[in-house]
Formats: sequence, C-alpha cells, structure tokens
Amino acid sequence: MIVSNAPLQHGTTGGPETAPHRIVLDGVCKTFGAGDKAAGTVALKDVNLSVRDKSFISLLGPSGCGKTTILRIVNGLIKPDSGKVLISGAEPRPGPNMGFVFQSFRLIPWSTIRGNIEFALVESIKDKAERQERADRYIDLVGLSRFANAYPSELSGGMRQRVALARALATEPDILLMDEPFASIDAQTRELMQLELMRLWSARQSVALFVTHSVDEAILLADQVVLMGPRPGRILEVIDVGLERPRWKYDIRAEKRFIELRAYLWDRIRTLVLTDPESDFYGRDLGNGS
Amino acid sequence: MKIAAYRLIFLAGLIALWWLASTMVERNLVPSPWATLLAARQLIAEGRLGGALLDSISIYLGGYAIAILVGIPIGLIMGTMRTLGKTLEIFVYALSATPRVAFIPLIIVFLGLGAQAKILIIFLGAVMPILINTYAGAQNADQELIEMARSVGARRRRIFGSIILPGAVPFILVGLRVGATIGLINTVVAELYTAVKGLGGLLAIYGNTFRMAEYFVIVLTLAMIGVIVTEALRFLETRLGRWRRSDVVV
Ligand SMILES: Nc1ncnc2c1ncn2[C@@H]1O[C@H](COP(=O)(O)OP(=O)(O)OP(=O)(O)O)[C@@H](O)[C@H]1O
Ligand SMILES: [Mg+2]
Repeated sequence: MIVSNAPLQHGTTGGPETAPHRIVLDGVCKTFGAGDKAAGTVALKDVNLSVRDKSFISLLGPSGCGKTTILRIVNGLIKPDSGKVLISGAEPRPGPNMGFVFQSFRLIPWSTIRGNIEFALVESIKDKAERQERADRYIDLVGLSRFANAYPSELSGGMRQRVALARALATEPDILLMDEPFASIDAQTRELMQLELMRLWSARQSVALFVTHSVDEAILLADQVVLMGPRPGRILEVIDVGLERPRWKYDIRAEKRFIELRAYLWDRIRTLVLTDPESDFYGRDLGNGS
Repeated sequence: MKIAAYRLIFLAGLIALWWLASTMVERNLVPSPWATLLAARQLIAEGRLGGALLDSISIYLGGYAIAILVGIPIGLIMGTMRTLGKTLEIFVYALSATPRVAFIPLIIVFLGLGAQAKILIIFLGAVMPILINTYAGAQNADQELIEMARSVGARRRRIFGSIILPGAVPFILVGLRVGATIGLINTVVAELYTAVKGLGGLLAIYGNTFRMAEYFVIVLTLAMIGVIVTEALRFLETRLGRWRRSDVVV
C-alpha cells in the first residue's frame, strides 16, 4: 500500500525535511462543557502534531472530530486542558501573524466589505491609506472589487466566504488557518480559488492548516493529509501526498498516486462514519460503493 | 408614498368618526373637530399653549436626557462585565417592575413640587427601559464576532468599540423609544401630582371644568409630541441600520 504510516503516535509533517517545526502540538487534550456532574464532550484526546515551516496541511475527518478545535487552539483562542502548544517556539497568541478563515464567515454586518478587511489590518498597518490599498488588493484577489463598498448582507453566501478568505490573507500571515473556506463556494469559483490559494501559498510559503470535507481538495492542496477520527477527536494517520508542485502545471487528478490516495481516504472515512455507533449514519449499508 | 396617502385616508376616517361621536354623545362630552380647532386657535393666540408646551418639553427633555446619560453607560457596563451584570440585574428588574409612580409622594417630600421633582419622576420612568435594553444588547453581543476580533489581535477596547457597542445599537434604540414614551407619560403624571403646570396642568384645569374642546387640544398636543419623538428615533434607527438589507422589516 502506498500509504506508509500506520496510526501514528507522533505525526510529523512538513515540507522540506530540514525546516524547523512551526507548529507543535504535544499531548493536547480538550473537553468541552465538563461541569460538576456533566462529563462533557471530549473534543480532542492526546493530539500530537508537528508541522514544519512552509508546509500545507489538510485536516480531514468526519463532522465533530475536533478539526475546528485544533485551529482555535493553534490560534490561541482557547487553551487546551492539558498538553503543550508551541507556535514558532512560543505560546500561541492571536494577531496579524495568523490568519483565520472561520467556518461561519463572521463578517461584521455593519461594516462594508472594505471595512471588514481593514478591520483585520488595524494592528499591523497604522497608515490609513496603506491599509485601504492593501484591503483593495485582496478584495480584488477574490474577485469582489465591485462590492468593496457593499455590506455583507448584500452578498451571496459564496461571496461572503471569499471576503472571509480575503480578510485572513490580507495580513499576509505566517500561519494560515482555514476552516472549510470553500465549503459554500460554487464548483467553478471553488476551483479558481483553490488555484489562487496554491499560487499565493507557493509565493509566500507560509504554513497552512486547511480543514476540508472534500477528499479531492485535501489531496490537491496539501503536502500532508491529517486524517482524524471522532469520539474522542484524535489524529488517526498522517499521509504524505508526495505529488509534485506546482500542481496547476499538470492534470493532477489523472495521476495514479492521486487516484490511489483518493480511494484510500474515501474508504477510511466511510468506515469511520459507518462503524461509529454515535454517527448519524451508523450501520447503513453504503459500504460497497454501490 | 402610497403609504402616506393611505395614512391620510385613515386620518380622515378617524376625524369623521370623531365628528360622528361628537354629534351622538350627550352633554357635549366630546367636542366637535371644528370646536376643537377654534379652541386651539384661541389657546395659541393667548400664548397659553406655547407656554405650557415649553414648560412640559423642558422638563421632559431634561429628565429624558439624564435617563439616557445614566441608562446607557450602566447598561453597557452591566452587559460587558458578566459578574457585575448578573449580580445587579435582579435588582434592576425588581425596580423596573415596581410602579414608579409609587415613589411620587416620597419625591415630593424630599424635593417639593418644583421642576426638580418632575424631572426626577420622568427620569425614573425613562431610565429603566433604556438601561434594560442596553444591557440586553451588550449581553447579546455576537460571540463569534468577538472571537473573530480576538483572532485578528483586537484588544478589549477595540472589541467593545467596534463589535459590542454597534451590535447593541438596535437594542439601545428600542430602549430609547420605549423610554421616550414612558417619559412622556410621566411628564403628565408629574404635572398632575405636583405644581399644576405645563400641559398636564392644563389637562387638569380643563378636565375639572369640563372645557372639553380645550381639553382635547391638550390631548392632541401630547399625542403630537409622542409622534414627533418616536418618529425621530425611528429615523435614527433607519439611518444607523443602513447595513441591513432593505427587504428586512425594521
Ligand atoms: N464551544 C463548545 N462547547 C461545547 N462543545 C463544543 C464546543 N466546540 C466544539 N464542541 C464539541 O467538540 C467536538 C468537536 O467540535 P469541532 O467543532 O472541533 O468539530 P469539527 O471537526 O470542526 O466538526 P465539523 O466538521 O462539523 O465542523 C464536537 O463534538 C462539538 O460538539
Ligand atoms: Mg468545524
């Protein structure tokens, strides 16, 4: 089998073997809503992950396996109950050095599109004209120049998601955290945005953690695919994609490696969902690809 | 503009009903629209309406302004400081459930019958809805937006200024509108109970002497003040709510 790693104890991922570890999660556990009586939801249990600088990581796994929780912990928005988190060797701290594309866009409804993007730039760019120039550049990048002065409520869901993406990209962060950033974008725009993201990422070579439910997208974009399982949320496997970059130069979907990876990942996820007694689709007979 | 026409038609209907009532009710308890208009002209010419209006409006605006200056900051502080808010809210709710007219005799004992007492009565009426709505607005701040702001590195002050406060504005405006109405009611109540002055004073005089045409003029003037104030606040609401989609009813 092409997929080397059996369930990993310590998943090391990364681009160049020599690059230092930019993100390190060591024995991270997180339980939500544990009270005096309630047991709470174990969102993450003993997660170990080391991400090398300049690498693109896809997080793949069924709903509720803790993907969003990992991103929030890496961003420093919430603290793990136990375990260590190091970002460039230090405690995680939110700020313009990390960009976060939230699953639920989170645009400020009373600010224009330009205002929304400038909001993320206030900490890093003090000059107003420069800030606006930067905002406009990224609005243009996601193809929304005509809507710079519109309010979020005037945009479609897919357009709003592109604004959220532009906001995260605009600070030109070293670490990009993306939570299903293309989920509500139509298929054609999605392909364009994937391409644009790959271009940007290869030009800047930042670290990217990319959550997606699309197996194709996970393989297409990433150096490594991190496969996660639910209840408790944990990392099952880290898989090297090993397809040559730049990937827009050839038809990656026709590659043997791509097809094998895709089949393998689909199979793993299907098994995960169908054998999990708590899954919404437990025990359904979807198993044989019929 | 269609709406304006419908409103005029409805108004005409109301006046017709009023006229009908004035011809049917005995003992001249309901003056005819025409008699009311004549009375209004006379009251204006004598300067009585103007004087009373000035009296009432100055104490009304005084009490209302203090209610705004007190209610909004306290509401915001309670809404952003969770423990403080939870501690105080039960007392605030208790006070707002108490009919505050109950305090009037006490207020008169302490402040007498002058403008101070009236302003305090108006303040007590208007401050509660402003405070409670502001509190609710600050408390209902969008936690997801706050997390987004934290993630771009915003500090408390900026999160308050650009997420919590603007998010609370629609609530605050509702509070201002309710507060304005209760403040107006309390203006009349205050004028009836304390030194008989202003519009409330005239209401008492004309009511007790069965001068119904004059009485109606005062009632209509009060209604007009209410309409002007609430419409002004509504205008402010639409101005501040431009970011909403136009198809959303505000
Ligand atoms: N703030 C919270 N309070 C309580 N439980 C939470 C909270 N956030 C997450 N959880 C729980 O933790 C688990 C993991 O949640 P998380 O959002 O990380 O999943 P996910 O992998 O991002 O799922 P999805 O693919 O559906 O977005 C879920 O069972 C969820 O119910
Ligand atoms: Mg999620």
